[in-house]
Amino acid sequence: MTQGSRLYFAVTVLMCAFVSINGVGLNDLLERASQLSDKLHSLSTSLTNDLDSHFPPVGRVMMPRPSMCHTSSLQIPNDKDQALKIPEDELLSLARSLLLAWSDPLALLSSEASSLAHPERNTIDSKTKELQDNINSLGAGLEHVFQKMGSSSDNLSSLPFYTSSLGQDKTSRLVNFHFLLSCFRRDSHKIDSFLKVLRCRAAKKRPEMC
Amino acid sequence: MRNSGAVLILTFIAILTLQAAGVSPPGKPRLTSCRSPEKETFTCWWEPGGDGGLPTTYALYYHLENSETVYECPDYRTAGENSCFFNKNDTSLWVNYNITVVASNALGKNISDPVEVDVVYIVQPNTPEHVTAVVVHDEQGPFVRVSWEKPRTADTRSGWITLLYQLRVKQEKDKEWEEYNAGMQKYYNVFSLHPDKEYMVQVRCKPDHGFWSEWTQTTYVKMPDSFIPLKNSFDYFSINFLNLIMVFIFVFSVKLCLLPAVPGPKIKGFDKQLLKSGKSEEVFNTLVIQGFPPTTDYDNLLVEYLEVYDNEEQELVQDGKDLSEDCMKSKSPSDIDSGRGSCDSHTLLLEKCMDGREGSGSNQHQYSQHGETRWASTESSESQDPEPGSPESANGRGKTWPVVFPSPQPQPHHHYPVGAAKPAYHSVPEILNHLSPHAMSSNYHQLNHQDILQQERRFSKPACRHSQSYNQFNLDGIDTPAPGVAPSPSLEYVEVQRVNPENMLLLRPLSDPNREPEGSDCTREDYSKVKEVTSNNILLLQRDMSHQCVDDYSQADQCTTQQPPHPCKPAVHQSNSGMPQEAIRVMGNGYVDSTVLMPSY
Repeated sequence: MTQGSRLYFAVTVLMCAFVSINGVGLNDLLERASQLSDKLHSLSTSLTNDLDSHFPPVGRVMMPRPSMCHTSSLQIPNDKDQALKIPEDELLSLARSLLLAWSDPLALLSSEASSLAHPERNTIDSKTKELQDNINSLGAGLEHVFQKMGSSSDNLSSLPFYTSSLGQDKTSRLVNFHFLLSCFRRDSHKIDSFLKVLRCRAAKKRPEMC
Repeated sequence: MRNSGAVLILTFIAILTLQAAGVSPPGKPRLTSCRSPEKETFTCWWEPGGDGGLPTTYALYYHLENSETVYECPDYRTAGENSCFFNKNDTSLWVNYNITVVASNALGKNISDPVEVDVVYIVQPNTPEHVTAVVVHDEQGPFVRVSWEKPRTADTRSGWITLLYQLRVKQEKDKEWEEYNAGMQKYYNVFSLHPDKEYMVQVRCKPDHGFWSEWTQTTYVKMPDSFIPLKNSFDYFSINFLNLIMVFIFVFSVKLCLLPAVPGPKIKGFDKQLLKSGKSEEVFNTLVIQGFPPTTDYDNLLVEYLEVYDNEEQELVQDGKDLSEDCMKSKSPSDIDSGRGSCDSHTLLLEKCMDGREGSGSNQHQYSQHGETRWASTESSESQDPEPGSPESANGRGKTWPVVFPSPQPQPHHHYPVGAAKPAYHSVPEILNHLSPHAMSSNYHQLNHQDILQQERRFSKPACRHSQSYNQFNLDGIDTPAPGVAPSPSLEYVEVQRVNPENMLLLRPLSDPNREPEGSDCTREDYSKVKEVTSNNILLLQRDMSHQCVDDYSQADQCTTQQPPHPCKPAVHQSNSGMPQEAIRVMGNGYVDSTVLMPSY
């Protein structure tokens, strides 16, 4: 081998090693995060179905509009072209902001689940608890991703949740529970979509998965 | 006036006529479904409610959740009849669409029920494309590799949509499909398909959160014939049969030619003929070996008595033969001889053991003076402290208990727990390590005997009172250089009065006037038989109920046994926490042998 080719080879090996060392870590982290967010959304969907099984028709009328969700103020991409234009760290901070915005409300849901006026309340209760655990795991995972990505600024949006109780009578409690859950279901889908876009963007080396 | 009235009447008649003819305002349309194939566009379909006999037009109107602006469907054509197609520009995600369809005809209109739709929840991809199924030949056999491509419209490369695939396989004649999940990959290997059969393959996909697509068109694949040259079962059969025959031939030849014959039984001295014909005694007599077992004098087996060179004792000792069997056994330390180290054996030269040990000059002198006997050393050392209640009784040295687990005391005890793991007889050397240097050599052997005789002291039968001579040693007196105690030339018999809570043996000389006269039944109290061992490792000594004499010990009693109905004896040994447990094994003659079976910590 000539000097030049030897040098070229060494540089290539080093670069591959460097990239693989750094890239694989982030890849795996994002893969794991996507799995968690997938599970999060599936849980919320199944919870919604459980609730819908015995939902009073009057509740549908009473239901607040989705624009009343406390996270509706967050600016998110509304279609694919917009979403694919967003840089990775901004996508990540969107996901993290949404996730953070739901820790308090889920705690409220969790505490109210056991006393819902609903025949499936036990299932709902256990799934809500599982939801809480999942959120915590995902939050921690996204912290790792954030550190691994090494972006300079941490611009998380604050989406405060001011409601402390779901209502006084059992019907309004049930309706508000359903409403909160529907807001969460949608937001969990957003988080899942953003993370999966991030996952494929980072997985340049494994095109067969994307 | 008359004209308007005429018009009215005419209209009325016309309506009636029309109704009689079957026309009416349109029925209520109904939105059947909305679907998005790639999360970028979506289509909604409706079904008409009935046109009322007149040409009816349909219009779809929608508004987004956070605005009141009503839009009409941008595209009625692309998706076909009774549909509305929303292109990319008109599609917003994570937003509710409120959609209604209005049917109108000449006679009126009808509005459908509104439907709320969020595009991300209605994703149903198109079917996968280009499904191929190819037979792959492998060493383990042929299998089918099915591969396909993603639906054209789905953008999986950017991660915008994630697709999961599923395929199903069956033969034409089968009723049920065999389904396989392929995850996110775009190929799948199907095994265990039957040779020379044709299979149908179909594939479909679904997004991570959405609906399954339709199945693809069937792809056919035919498995090849199997490559084993034997076409029919007869060949299989014949080959197996031939194999079996060859195996048999081989085994037989090996057995006949190669392997040696199995020899018949040959027991020396055993005459088969005699067995068949003769009496059994004759047959078995041949098996008797003369001279076995050795019929030597049993006495020789026992270790010789320990000869005591003290004038007083010698008479007593020589009466040993008159003593009961038990006493004999109690005298001899050989019962516990097994397993001892070389220095333990009294048959070995004692000098060997004395080498390297610091010994007090006096003791050594006494030792050599009395030759082999260990009694001498015993006697000399035990004469130090004949007083009862000696405080040094068990302080960290030779313990009151023959077994080696002393109560924890602030002496260098670190060896003790180690020794505790071994049986009693092993641990004797361990104790020695902690004896005071000058007392070591003599105390070593003294301790030996001490241990034994302590047992005897406890457990000897009343008849062995004579052997009290053995009890002379001062259990306290292991510590040879006891301060302030002058070795007295005369021996003082002592007996253990009791054990106080600090595990000290309180001795009382036999010449104590407080003692009961000898020969009375009460002396039986000196000796006790172990009745049982309680869980606290307390030996419950049995007192003979037959006599009624006053128990002089009673005032000193600290009853620690747990059986009140029993006459109390002071606890012989109380194990402290942390000490390993001992087990007491009662030997056949009423003596006990304390052995550590399983130390527990």
